[in-house]
Formats: sequence, structure tokens, C-alpha cells
Amino acid sequence: MSTQSDNTEAKKSIKQDWAMQTQSVQNQFQSISFQGRIPRSPTGKPMLARVAESMYWMSRYMERAEHVARIVLVNFNMLMDLGELAPAMQEKQWQGVLRILRLDNLPEGQALLCASDRNVGQRVADFMTFNTINRNSLINCLTKARENARSIRESISAEMWETLNTLYWSLLSDDAKQRLEESPQQIFQSVMMGSLLFQGVSDQTLPHGQGWQFLQLAKYLERVDMTCRIIDTKFDFLRAEESTMETPLRNIQWMAVLRSCSSIEAYRRRHVGDLDPQRVAAFLILDKESPRTIRYCVKEAQSAVAGIAASVHPQEIDPAERILGRLNSQLEFAETREFSGMGLKYVLRQIQENTAEAASAIQRSYFLH
Amino acid sequence: MFKNYVANGVFDEMFMEEGKPRPHYEPVFRQLTNLSSSAFQRRRRMADITFRNQGITFTVYKDASGVERIFPFDLVPRIVPSAEWKLIERGLEQRITALNLFCKDVYHQQHILREKVIPPEMIYSARMFRREMIHVNVPNDIYIHVCGTDLIRDKDGNYLVLEDNGRTPSGVSYVLENRAVMKRVLPNLFDTYTVRAVEDYPFNLLQCLKELARHPVDDPTIVVLTPGIYNSAYFEHSFLARQMGVELVEGKDLIVDNSRVYMRTTAGLRLVDVIYRRIDDDFLDPLCFRPDSILGIPGLMNAYRCGNIALANAVGTGVADDKAVYPYVPAMIKFYLQQEPILNNVPTYVCAVDEDRNYVLEHLDELVVKSTNESGGYGMLMGHQASADERAEFARKIIHDPRNFIAQPVIQLSQHPSLVEDHFEGRRVDLRPYILYGKNVAITPGGLTRVALQEGSLIVNSSQGGGSKDTWVLEDAH
Repeated sequence: MSTQSDNTEAKKSIKQDWAMQTQSVQNQFQSISFQGRIPRSPTGKPMLARVAESMYWMSRYMERAEHVARIVLVNFNMLMDLGELAPAMQEKQWQGVLRILRLDNLPEGQALLCASDRNVGQRVADFMTFNTINRNSLINCLTKARENARSIRESISAEMWETLNTLYWSLLSDDAKQRLEESPQQIFQSVMMGSLLFQGVSDQTLPHGQGWQFLQLAKYLERVDMTCRIIDTKFDFLRAEESTMETPLRNIQWMAVLRSCSSIEAYRRRHVGDLDPQRVAAFLILDKESPRTIRYCVKEAQSAVAGIAASVHPQEIDPAERILGRLNSQLEFAETREFSGMGLKYVLRQIQENTAEAASAIQRSYFLH
Repeated sequence: MFKNYVANGVFDEMFMEEGKPRPHYEPVFRQLTNLSSSAFQRRRRMADITFRNQGITFTVYKDASGVERIFPFDLVPRIVPSAEWKLIERGLEQRITALNLFCKDVYHQQHILREKVIPPEMIYSARMFRREMIHVNVPNDIYIHVCGTDLIRDKDGNYLVLEDNGRTPSGVSYVLENRAVMKRVLPNLFDTYTVRAVEDYPFNLLQCLKELARHPVDDPTIVVLTPGIYNSAYFEHSFLARQMGVELVEGKDLIVDNSRVYMRTTAGLRLVDVIYRRIDDDFLDPLCFRPDSILGIPGLMNAYRCGNIALANAVGTGVADDKAVYPYVPAMIKFYLQQEPILNNVPTYVCAVDEDRNYVLEHLDELVVKSTNESGGYGMLMGHQASADERAEFARKIIHDPRNFIAQPVIQLSQHPSLVEDHFEGRRVDLRPYILYGKNVAITPGGLTRVALQEGSLIVNSSQGGGSKDTWVLEDAH
């Protein structure tokens, strides 16, 4: 019995302690408010519009570099497998890569494919890595990411800067060209891993405030856009060619699509190796859990915007948040049926239009003050 | 590695005579002699990679091959014993106090001009004299909050002041980064020493800036104003903002409304209280100074004169570090403080004074001529190394515009062992300590030792291929 009463006593005293503490905290608040000092910015430390914009673009270019590296690498590896099966495929495949990156109309891009020798792959790899005219080359993406980072070094963590800067210099080192010739895989892999490292470092060293939200927002918007382009281009290509393709060839192609979106393992586990086009598309667009799918990215982008909006103008609904929120519910309640035939194209275009609108709404709300 | 090391007939920081180091250098000397050349090279490469990956760089103007460069770092530390440092400290404190009193006087009562201690025409003809500042009151009457004073040593080892940098002196970030890299690549060297820390500079600077906020708010909004990423000292601007935890802004981030300064944030405009500006007066406000400046903030001077914004350093401090005003600093110290200068000037001829000018023109081959409006080692004539044509051209320039030139005898700067390829050689050095002048004076122990890496060169500026060293001020041995 006695133990129990002790216990109740103890509980009581804890309760009292707690009550006293709360009271003293309240007193503190009161004493602060009575000093007549009004905090300068009620919503936390304000962020320079220019810094926010640079955060955004740094993150977007870093993500873009990762995608470019992956797309080129996947195509490289696939063509090695296809080599014997379909020698004529080379040029068409690289054409597809250039289309994803919107470089197929560039004269420089055309020239790459026209020459008749067999080294198309090496040429495209070089063009996508070191060429400075090519706005999507790795060197251009990383230079832009770094220039943006350099202008906001005081707002990002030292570790983020060092990760990005080290990656940049590794691509500019004297032996980089030689390394690309010897093993394209190694260079592209280093860019992909560099980008992932940068994301991890950012997550663990930068406070998850407004700046970090802008990083998230930019990364996921870029990923949605890239994923849409990959699906769109590849599906067009395969629709045209599929009838003439043998099954092993077809499977290699579908696997490449998944690899380009870094989703092959996740897909395999979900669908146990069944490579059905409709399922591939549905997975890449709608899967809830895989961080590479469109739905996942839209959701994350939406919550990033919501976070920013809450700290900037908590009373209003942010236009970008509205656009992304609507898109998110659309994806949440979508049916796989919608992706058959030309429906897929329509859905992808809608997603791209929505994200582009969201991006310009962000520009208007936060960068142009 | 010290084989063939020669004294070159100047003051050597490390050696009293050949092979015999000064007592405070002995432990370092012993460790360095025990280190093989390849081991030392390895450390040097490690240091270079650290600097590059961390982006500790500066920008060289008019350089086609990549604009970003690593500031060459020389691994042998320069050591200043505590007694020597105390003297320097006292001398610098005296000097900055006088310079600040001078600025206040020149922009208010002008006693020093009325009493003809300094010829008034010397002040009114100074390009950096700002009429806009006459009778403007600045917070706490302080003009030069941050000063970098260049010291050199003559052949007897006396410290002399070569110039004061009272506008926007740079280099302090390298003091901190050099120390960090030194700890990383040669930790053993610190073993037997107690080296005074330099890390509290950003903290002291922040305190100094906080004192300037007009309203004693808990958390004044302080910003560092930079010309942008293409400025040669951009790394430092961003470094200081990062270390102090304040925003780094460019001119376009600020806007003046109703004589108040705001910054553009994602949530609209926010009031700014103090600006640590790293932009010259000329570019600060296109409505007041150079109208073609796109780096500045239109209306800033108005807000400044209303007292709504504090600037560090104040506008118009250039009048105190004009090279033709420099010779009068000892007189200022006597005039305002009734003290004898603790640190002496280098003897200087002012070309605007007839007597001096005639002497200069006759002795061009043994003097260093400097343009009063240039810095960074530009616009100089090293008389003893120049050709007859170059001397003739400078003579013409001096006669054409005497106010624009001063001349000094060639001072043989002291030398210090530096790594040259695989061994040590003597290279000339100077020392730039950084002084913070607020309610307290805080002088960072040591400062930036700059090295002229070219053999025999006397020019240490980074823009002219100079490097730098870690500088150790030793704790008092009790």
C-alpha cells in the first residue's frame, strides 16, 4: 500500500513541478512582451529573395546533372548489350537521348549523329560531358550549380559547398577527358553519386528551414520534368519500333527505361520481373513509395512549397501550392486505364504543364520582390 | 633543406646568423630540418588541395586563364614573440585612435587644418575626401572600424608602418583559413608552442557592428555588402558573412524607401540596421557618387545622413589612408594624443612639396615612387630596378601632377625562409595586422604575413604573385 501512496505522491509532485514550470514559462513570455520589444520578423529569420533563387537553381542544376549522367550511362550500357542484336539501333537510340534532353534540334546535336563511323557513343558521351555549347552538358550543369552555390556560400553548409566544389573540380581535372575515354561509366557514376552525396549532406547539415525547402522543391520539380520526358520519349520510340522487335530486345529496352529513372529494383520487387509497358508507366507515374516516381515527387514538392508559404505568408494560399496540390490529388486518384494509348501522352503533358506553372508561380511569389 | 640558405644582407626573421635560429624559432627549425623534402612536398600538396576543394580563392583581374586562383600558401610559419607583439599592439592602437580623431576633425571642426599641422590643400585635393560627409555625425564618432595596417621591418628588425588601409582592407579570411590548414597539414609544428588563437575575429567584428545599431534592439539586422562573386575578395565577403551568421547582400538586394534601407526577402522587405560594406565609396550610391555604378544602392547616402543606417567603415575614411596624408600621421598622433608615435613611418617625400619634389626628381634611381590613389601594387616605380625610360616617364608624370605621387627610399623588407621547389630560400615578407575599433580595440594576434615569392622581389601583393604564411603570436611564457 505504502508504495502506491508513494507513487501517487510522486505523481502529484511531478504534476506540481510541471504546473510550476509552465507557469514560469508563461511568466517569461509575459515579461518579454511587457518590455515592449517587438521581434523584427515574426516568421523566423527572413531569407533574401536572391538567396532563395540561387538555392533553387543550385539544386535544380545538381539534379539535372544527375539525370543527364544516368540517361547517357544507361544508354551506353544498353547499346553494349544490343550491339549484336541490332547494329542499326545505335543512331536511333542516341537520337532518343538527345530528344529527352531537348538537344535533337541543335545543329551540334545533329552533327554528332551524322558522321558515319561507329563511335557515336563516345562522341555523345564527350558532348554530354565536356561540351560548353551544350547547355545540358555535365560541365555546364555543374558550373551553374557551383556558381549559384558560390554566391550563397554563407547560406549553405560548408560541407555542401565542399562536396559540390570537389565534384566540379574532378570534372575539370587534367585527366578527366582521358578517364572518360577509358571508362565512361566511372565518370557518369561519379556525377550521379556526387549528386546523391550532395543531397545527403544537405539533409544532414543544413537546418530544415526555408532554404532547405527551396532545395527540396527544386530537386523534385526537376525530377518530375525529367521523368516525364524520359517516359514520353521512350514510349514514343518503343511504340513505333515494338512490332519489329523480338522479346529479349524489348525487355532490354524496358529495363533501360526503368534504369534511366533509377527505378529498376523498386519495380522488380513490386511486379516480380513482369515487364509490361502499361505497368512500367503506371509504376513510374503513380507508385506511392518510390522516391523516383512522379507522384512521390509532386507530393514532396507540394509539401516543400507549403512549408515555405507557411513561414512567409501563413494566412494566404500559395498559388504554387494550389497547383501542385491539385496535381497531387489527380495522381492520387488516377486510374491505370488513363495511361493506355494516347492517354499517356496527354497525362504527361498535363503534369509537365502543371509543374511549369508551379515553377513560374514560385518565381513570382518569392524571387521577384 | 636549409642547405645553401643565405641571409641576402637583410633582416632574417628566423636566423640570427647562418645556421643559428633565433630562440623562438628553434623548435620549428629542428622539426623542419628533420622533415624530408618529399614529406614536405606531400604536405604542400595536401594544403593546395584543401584550399581548392574548400574554394578558398581570389580572383585575378585581366587574367584569361581562369579567374579563380588559390592564394599561394607558404607552409613555414612566421613567429612573433609576445614582447614584440605587445609593442606592435600598442603602436597600432595609438595609430588607429589618432586616425579616427583625424577623420572626425576633418569632417567637423578641422582644428588640425586651422593650425596648419597638415596643409589644407593636401586634404581638399585628396580624391577620397568626401564633402558629402562634412558635419555628418556617425555612430559613436567612429569612422574606421576595421583597419589593416601594413608593417615591414628594416634591416635592424625595427617595425615600420608602410601604409594604413582604412577603407575596405581585405585578407583577414586568409589569416583564419591559413591557421586551419596549418593545423591540418603540420599539426606537429604546434607541439612546443602556445600560439594565440585568431578564430575570434568574426565574433569581435560582429560585436563591433552591433554597437552601431541606432536602436538597441536585441537582434539588429546586420548585412555584409559585396560587389558580387566576380570581386577579387568575394571569398572573404562570403566567409565573414558565414562566420558571423549574417546575410551577404549585393546592391540589388537592398532598396531605400523613405530614407530607410530594406532588403528584399522572400517575404517582402525587411529593415536593415547596419551594413558592413565591402564596396568603395565611389560605388556606394549612384545618386551621390559615381552615377554609373550598378553595385550600389540609390539613396543610401540620404539614409546614412539621416542616421537610419550605419556603415562600417564610414564614408570618407579614404582621406586618412591617402598616401600623401600618410606622412602626416606621426604629426596627427602628437596633435591629438600628445604622444610620441610608437611605430614609425617609412621616411616619405611628398611630391606636392617643392623641396621634396626636387629631391625626388634628382634621386629617382634610388627611390620607390607610388601613386597616391592606387593600391594592390599598381602604379609603382621601383627606381633602382626600372629602366631609364621608365624613370623619365615617371618624372614627367610627377611634374605634371605632383599631388598624385609620393616617394620613399627602398626599404629592404625582412626575409623569411620559404619553400622554393625542394628547399628553403629567403623571401621578403610584410605583416598586415587587423584592428577592430569599437568600444574596445581588438587586434587579432598576428595578421596576414604576405610573401614576395619571386626571388629578390619586394612586392608582396597577391595581385602581383605574392603568397601568404600562417603567423603565430606566442603566448607569454610565465
